[in-house]
Amino acid sequence: MLKFILKRLGSAAGVLLAASLLLYILVINSGDPLGDLRESNAENREYLMQQRTEYMNLEQPWYLRYLTWLTGVSKCFVGACDLGRNINGIEVTDLLANAASSTLRLVLLATVIAAILGIAIGVLTAVRQYSGLDYLVTFLTFLFFSLPVFWAAVLLKEYMAIGYNNWLENPQISLGTSILIGVVAGLVLQMLLAGSLKRRGITFLATAIFVPLLLQYSVWLNFYRFPQMGPAVIIVLTVLLALSATAMSVGLKEKRVLYPALITAVLVLGMYYATFWLLAEPNGWLLLGGAILAVVIPGLIGKLMGGRLSKAAMGVSVTVGLVGAGLTVLDHIFRAWPGFLDLKGRPIATIGSSTANLEGGFWDHFLDNATQLLLPTIVLAIISLASYSRYTRSSMLEVQQQDYIRTARSKGLSERTVIFRHAFRNALIPIATIAAFDFAGLIGGAVVTETVFGWKGMGDLFNTGLHAVDPAPVMAFFLVTGTAAVLFNLLADIVYAILDPRIRV
Amino acid sequence: MRFQRVSKAVVVGAAMALALSACAPGGSETSPSASESAGGGNAGAEATTTGLADLGDIATKDGAIKVSIGAPEFISYNGNTPQTYSTYNSGITDRMFASFVYFGTDGKIYPNEDLGSFEKISDDPLTIKYTIADNAKWSDGTDITTADAVLAWATQNLNLNSGSKDKPLFNSVSTDLGDTVPKGPQGDPAGKEFTVEFKAPDPDWQIQTWMLHPAHVVAKKGGLSTEEFVAAVRDGDSKKLEKAAKFWNEGWTTKPGTLPDEADIPVSGPYKLSSWKAGESVTLTANENYYGTPAATKELNFRFLADSGMVQALQNKDLDVIGPQPTVDTLEQLKGLGSAVNIQQGDTLTWEHLDFNFVKGNTMTNLELRKAFAMCVPRQEIVDNLIKPLNPEAQVMNLREVFPFQENYADTVAAAYDGRYDQVDIEGAKKILEEQDAVGTKVRIGYSAPNERRTNEVAQIKSSCDKAGFEIVDAGDPKFFAPGGTQERGDYEVALFAWAGSGQITSGQNIYATGKPQNYGKYSNAEVDAAWETLATSLDPAVHAEQTKKIEKLLWDDLFGIPMFAHPGLSASGADIQNVRHTATQNGIVWNAEQWMRAE
Repeated sequence: MLKFILKRLGSAAGVLLAASLLLYILVINSGDPLGDLRESNAENREYLMQQRTEYMNLEQPWYLRYLTWLTGVSKCFVGACDLGRNINGIEVTDLLANAASSTLRLVLLATVIAAILGIAIGVLTAVRQYSGLDYLVTFLTFLFFSLPVFWAAVLLKEYMAIGYNNWLENPQISLGTSILIGVVAGLVLQMLLAGSLKRRGITFLATAIFVPLLLQYSVWLNFYRFPQMGPAVIIVLTVLLALSATAMSVGLKEKRVLYPALITAVLVLGMYYATFWLLAEPNGWLLLGGAILAVVIPGLIGKLMGGRLSKAAMGVSVTVGLVGAGLTVLDHIFRAWPGFLDLKGRPIATIGSSTANLEGGFWDHFLDNATQLLLPTIVLAIISLASYSRYTRSSMLEVQQQDYIRTARSKGLSERTVIFRHAFRNALIPIATIAAFDFAGLIGGAVVTETVFGWKGMGDLFNTGLHAVDPAPVMAFFLVTGTAAVLFNLLADIVYAILDPRIRV
Repeated sequence: MRFQRVSKAVVVGAAMALALSACAPGGSETSPSASESAGGGNAGAEATTTGLADLGDIATKDGAIKVSIGAPEFISYNGNTPQTYSTYNSGITDRMFASFVYFGTDGKIYPNEDLGSFEKISDDPLTIKYTIADNAKWSDGTDITTADAVLAWATQNLNLNSGSKDKPLFNSVSTDLGDTVPKGPQGDPAGKEFTVEFKAPDPDWQIQTWMLHPAHVVAKKGGLSTEEFVAAVRDGDSKKLEKAAKFWNEGWTTKPGTLPDEADIPVSGPYKLSSWKAGESVTLTANENYYGTPAATKELNFRFLADSGMVQALQNKDLDVIGPQPTVDTLEQLKGLGSAVNIQQGDTLTWEHLDFNFVKGNTMTNLELRKAFAMCVPRQEIVDNLIKPLNPEAQVMNLREVFPFQENYADTVAAAYDGRYDQVDIEGAKKILEEQDAVGTKVRIGYSAPNERRTNEVAQIKSSCDKAGFEIVDAGDPKFFAPGGTQERGDYEVALFAWAGSGQITSGQNIYATGKPQNYGKYSNAEVDAAWETLATSLDPAVHAEQTKKIEKLLWDDLFGIPMFAHPGLSASGADIQNVRHTATQNGIVWNAEQWMRAE
């Protein structure tokens, strides 16, 4: 394995070097770096051109310029990267650090969401091939896939930012709208839950009646400006979760699983009160610590009380613990929302990654970052989600035709085991490659998304550099994206080996 | 079955939860009202001149106004080096530095009495006496003195160099003060008065920069006292100044997102830098030690945003003022927002023109052919089709050195141009071409492509002039101005481009006089040269006006080229922001940002 990796790395380095030379030559010949000055009527135009020529070494032959750059880059190996300066005299290393962190913030969440949702949808549609759900999802994914980013972003801004903010000034939902939403929700839900015609009918009716009522109730509560949950809702939800998770895994009769789950639910309530003041003004580490505890403590309870069912007990308890902790955090976010609205009257912004000079505490900044990230994340996720779900679907369908799946079924394994343990794992193999490339591509910056939402990430670095015929930022961009492509390619190979024992050597 | 049980349980549970929690409506009983629209459009102080309006006795109001003039990131506190100089950077730094003069919305020069006053005390040699206001201080409390003027002079002085004039000590965009004012500002470095003596008469003496950066900071960073610094500059002691110059060149240019130490960036203007988030925005805060009219709003936030996101950001109130590139699409979108925004439209000081190629052998060296071409160019139609949609007030420009919105335009036009090319005269042009036996003459119109507007202009010229017997060729080329490009090779008959007016009186000499660097078409006319010489060596506005008329008339008679129109400008602001005013100058919409404020 090591030899394989080293060999791959070696060839990758060669490719990178050759590509960098090619790109460098292309960039410096892509236009006239003095173009803006030539059309200027400044009196000392000649002097300015001469200054820039000297500053950017324009008079040196291409190989000398490239070598200068390469020497700077090679210092990276001794920990003193010198990627040069851009046309404005700013260190490219600094520019790159800012651009990379901004792009990562932008694409990381979107990619993870797209991958998880996309794969889930793919599996679901493959299992229910040729059902109404399948057709609907197929239609939607093709629609999303063909959406031009720019247009989608403008629409999202129009409705989800401007429209929502306007609505939020005085949130009202008319009776007609509520009923319409209820009907649509009912249709979608019956499609998702499926079953016999009678069951579908009941699901539809229940949803179509319940959702409008809930919406009207929320309006009466003024929920959208003053959301509230409170400990009562948290405990009811966690207990319900404990009951249903137990029922789904081993059945309610198994006290060894039920009790730890219920104990966890009660603990959640206890922790809600215990951490109330702490969580009113927390920090990132505190939340992380809380999340770890929410896994470890229920896990221990499950292990100790579960006996021979300890695995199931642990799973159920941890789920209950995590969801309970999540609800507790959500409760605090709800509490912070009205104050946040006072600071930022129109919460969903159309541009930027944060509000400048926002006052307020941890939750206000948390909410600010979340609301700023919302739109670009949706745009990016919706578009790559489409391809994930399509690939997963076809890959799942292919795997399900295999002989070993039939064997597994005839062995009498439950359908869930067949799908998740036997089919799904194998279906994931091609997805691993796509995910790796997708992520490497996204690091390169979602140029259009960045531009439309006013983020200065990798895409902007590249674009600005190229327009100014300024090689240093463009090459820095290349360095990161090229390396990422190579590394993720390698990673995909390794993941392949983990997922598919046949190619493990 | 299991699913059914679970979904039932969920429904029951949810109902239970709602009942249990017994929630009560949040917030106050009255629903928050939608924000009131500020009536009266662009309310606020009424401007009576093209200069800054008189806001009366105002105090700085809390709050922030968010503005975007484009995507480029803030570069540096010192925006005067060739690397850092850009209109975007100046849009921010101009708020921080007071100057003795400023440009009004039509390019007229107004004195800034907050900083001080100046008067011409002698014509020969041209000597100006500047007096800095007694209470004028940097934001750190240091007095603004003659030493600061000496720094401004030093940075524009090529005689302070390390070896030769190619390697000036201070790496600045403007470089000529060392030669035009050999001795620099004279006066006690710690005093408030200084005089400058020009070697030759300079009609543009008013707009020379005599106040820029804080000398006490540069001196300190250079390891000198302010007095030592001034003495070294006056003695031309380059060695001693090296460290200070290095600081001026590079010390203020920091890592994006990190401002220099607060002690190093005092300001003389109404705003100072307060925070910078890389890739996002720079925030300026009102300078509480400002000695003049205080800034109207406490914070100004400059966002770096590409045009494509501006209109929606304005609509969503993420921004309060935007200065996009003017396009018909943007204007339509802005109009769609109705009374929620104010739109500022108008001319700018950049003007489009067709210039003939006078290089020997070119067909356009024939005056008759130039006349025929001028007759068939549909200037009015071009303005109607391409410019009026953006600026309803736009008109065909009939002069080169004076813009239609300037006060001396009508007077100068009357003296220089009789309106002979106002109407398209295809028949007249045809007749000339036939007389000259030049029917079918190929006219290559060159410009720097891609440029949609110019492509359209050429298309309109073609459809008109081809009728007269010319053969118009669209010679747009990305490398039109590049070395070895169309322009340099002279492979064109007519060049289509724009000059940006700078507010200088003499800048046209570089374009129209024989052998000057911007005289691309190699035009030469002894009378024009002489008129420029007279203009450039006189300090008398009457002489300037008279010579301008003379030059304009000669250039029309000789058909140096055909002026077309002033480029339109566009900006918009939220209806609740007062005192946002269009300006024709390159300062852009932020020119009076210190006066912007939010209506109550």
